[in-house]
Amino acid sequence: MLDKYTCSICGHMYNPTVGEPMQNIPPGREFSDLPDDWQCPICGASRKNFRKE
Amino acid sequence: MVSREIIHGIHWVGAIDFDRRIFDELIPLPNGTSYNSYLIQGSEKTALIDTVDPTKEFELISNLVKLNVERIDYVVVNHAEQDHSGSLPMILEFFPDAVVVTNAKCKDLLIAHLHLPENRFMVIKDKETLSLGDRTLEFFLTPWTHWPETQITYLREDKILFSCDLFGSHTATSDLYVTDEGEIYGSAKRYYAEIMMPFRNSIRGYVEMVRALPLVMIAPSHGSIYSRTPFILDAYADWVSDAVKNEVVIAYVSMHGSTQKMVEHLTDALIARGITVKPFNLTRTDIGELAKSLVDTATVVIATPTVLFGPHPQVVYATYLANLLKPKMRYASVIGSYGWGGKAVETIVKMLDHVKVEIIEPVMVKGLPDETTFLALNRLADDILRKHNESKIV
Repeated sequence: MLDKYTCSICGHMYNPTVGEPMQNIPPGREFSDLPDDWQCPICGASRKNFRKE
Repeated sequence: MVSREIIHGIHWVGAIDFDRRIFDELIPLPNGTSYNSYLIQGSEKTALIDTVDPTKEFELISNLVKLNVERIDYVVVNHAEQDHSGSLPMILEFFPDAVVVTNAKCKDLLIAHLHLPENRFMVIKDKETLSLGDRTLEFFLTPWTHWPETQITYLREDKILFSCDLFGSHTATSDLYVTDEGEIYGSAKRYYAEIMMPFRNSIRGYVEMVRALPLVMIAPSHGSIYSRTPFILDAYADWVSDAVKNEVVIAYVSMHGSTQKMVEHLTDALIARGITVKPFNLTRTDIGELAKSLVDTATVVIATPTVLFGPHPQVVYATYLANLLKPKMRYASVIGSYGWGGKAVETIVKMLDHVKVEIIEPVMVKGLPDETTFLALNRLADDILRKHNESKIV
């Protein structure tokens, strides 16, 4: 588990080990546990634009 | 400027910018461009689809005045970028009853970029319709046909798609419709490379979605209208596909001639192996042409001399741009020369983090290339041919 996901639009990576400091998402949060309306902190792309590494 | 009737009640009311030669202070426009705005008059309501670049706002207003348009009910905004939305403040001032019709994301961007008032908006969702009486507009949200808020608008009864940037071309022409498909093909491909290519995977689905619509014409926001829609849909289907061509693009700079000699040798070696080669001397290259060549090339070779410890800045610029545009290239390599040392290869390879490429072993030489260098370049040409063969590109 703790799979990394990359934004297919801008290349930003969501790494569950570090969470997302820009959005106050704590370390350990799985990508699948992010809210449905979660967006890429860099480009605003929706969740479905992310691909598993 | 003069407005043109497309069919009864539908007019092109935009502006043709014959003189413009650069966009975003970045992309050369050898053929100028146009900002297409369309007026649609239904039995009950009148809608304007997109506006024009603010430098041409008076042309848009004058087109509407000459058509005796006294009331605009809706201004449909497909894209918040200023070359289409920039005349909104003036339109909203001239037509105080007009409401901006767009999606939530676009509303947010329009307020950020143009400081439009909240109370002038009507927010629509994907596949929502808007009746003009005897005509119906249908909206499809198509994020990443340039920006995250982009959408397209379909006029059901007349089967016209207003696709905004999607399918557009930077061409300034007095022809309302595409007359020379060969010429427009090149221009639309270049536009795709500059604007759409980074979002290829998103666009693939939209091309199929559009193809499923009954279509009489596609009216983009730049360039002429397509009355033969399969022409542009087939071209896009090809560009967004994963298929690459048996081609090598060589982007290079040479300071004292060493890299130039290597490029010439590699070019000949690739031609001798039946591979199409497109060398671009970056000091005299129109970057739009370079971008266009990246649409379907299988391999890119970056050739650079070494300035102090790294690649030539012109090469860095082109590599940065190519990486940003995310072409579907599969292989890359670096060749070049250095005076006494440096890490040009490492720097270039590190920059290619956005494209998924396999790096074929680079060829760097100290000083002037010699027989050993030329043999290494032959090996590189062999490797490229073998990779193309393995990927069934040849």
